[in-house]
Amino acid sequence: MDEKKAAILGEIPRLRRYARSLLRDRDSADDLVQDCLERALVRLDNWQTGESPRRWLFTIMHHLFIDQMRKVSRRGEAAMLPLEASEAQAAPAEQVAGIASREIIDALQAISPDRRAALVIVAIEGFSYAEAANILGVPAGTLMSRIARGREELRGLLEDTARRRSIRIVEK
Amino acid sequence: MTGHDFSERDIHMALDGELPGDERAAYDAWLDANPEMKARSTRYVADRAALHAAFAGVLDEPVPARLQKIVFGETPARTARGRSRWWLAAAAAAVLAIGGVGGYVAGIDHLGLEDPANDEFAEQAIAAHVIYAAEKRYAVEVPASDKDHLQTWLSNRVGLKLVAPDLAAEGFQLVGGRLLPAGHGKAAMLLYEDDKGERISLFITAESAGKAKGTYGSEENGPEAIYWLDKGYACAVVGSLPRAQLTSVAKSAYSQLLAGLAG
Repeated sequence: MDEKKAAILGEIPRLRRYARSLLRDRDSADDLVQDCLERALVRLDNWQTGESPRRWLFTIMHHLFIDQMRKVSRRGEAAMLPLEASEAQAAPAEQVAGIASREIIDALQAISPDRRAALVIVAIEGFSYAEAANILGVPAGTLMSRIARGREELRGLLEDTARRRSIRIVEK
Repeated sequence: MTGHDFSERDIHMALDGELPGDERAAYDAWLDANPEMKARSTRYVADRAALHAAFAGVLDEPVPARLQKIVFGETPARTARGRSRWWLAAAAAAVLAIGGVGGYVAGIDHLGLEDPANDEFAEQAIAAHVIYAAEKRYAVEVPASDKDHLQTWLSNRVGLKLVAPDLAAEGFQLVGGRLLPAGHGKAAMLLYEDDKGERISLFITAESAGKAKGTYGSEENGPEAIYWLDKGYACAVVGSLPRAQLTSVAKSAYSQLLAGLAG
């Protein structure tokens, strides 16, 4: 096995984590990683050896994700997405996750794909703003405002959830 | 005194490690002077930690065989719903209760219980099989001709008293074995071959998440794993044999391994 392939193999766990935070469902996320790896291998020459393949792979995967999300939203399917995602997957896939994790995973799925991607690529994947802007293909200012809006939205959703939970408890 | 006018934007920068180091002290002072901003920062810090924690486990999951295969140049079959609709997919794996702890061997004819929690172990076993069973010259590290050494070496490394089962009655001869990583520990892989060159492998670790048994196939027409997890060990038999034949091989392998562990 050559060095390039070994380096790509080594990035799969992180690609899976990024895909999981974008899509939540494990199989769907792995399908996205699969699309990404297939595209990467066809374009192996675009990646310069000596450089970590991480940014290159994340860029490929991010564009696959965003392009598809845009197509979906043009066809008007996006509206059903958060609902379908949260209802159908409420059960087993993230069974091990605690309530706090499940709530934040739910909330993350409810914010717009652009903001979700900007937030997780920095807050979970640990890329710097400059790297993240590069991967997402947006100016640094746009990235920063997406992160800020994403965090605000996420916080608002979590507070809604907490409020609903306390109402339920009161009603009991 | 405010040498620098901070804003909410700086809360995000501080959180993401983008605030210049020499501004940190002034920023902290600004937070202390602005309770509302400080409260906001505290909430964001907690959310960031929760986000990180919610997905941290993904890094410890074994890489599914189908993803590894792509990098090795194979194009595995897609999952049933096809390539272009992953973003709409909402697959919910069914969790079925695992049967009683005893009677694994007695009950093996009735396998078919699936538990996603054990997929990881089965996927590791399948991934190892996919990679090494396909190798002609480098399939094993220690050949069957050195069986005593193989058993001692793997036993010491894995931390279990391992006996390579005799599967001649099932038509399989030991080819040899190798040591592999598995989760946070090590696994022994034993490779067998029949006279037609069909290969199966046993994958054994001393780590186990709990008690379970099941069958697992990561994709259509790919190899299948029959596995048992019990306190202190986990074993999978992997191959592309018809289910009945694989079950019969697994049953024989399991009872011999168990006898070896006890002896």
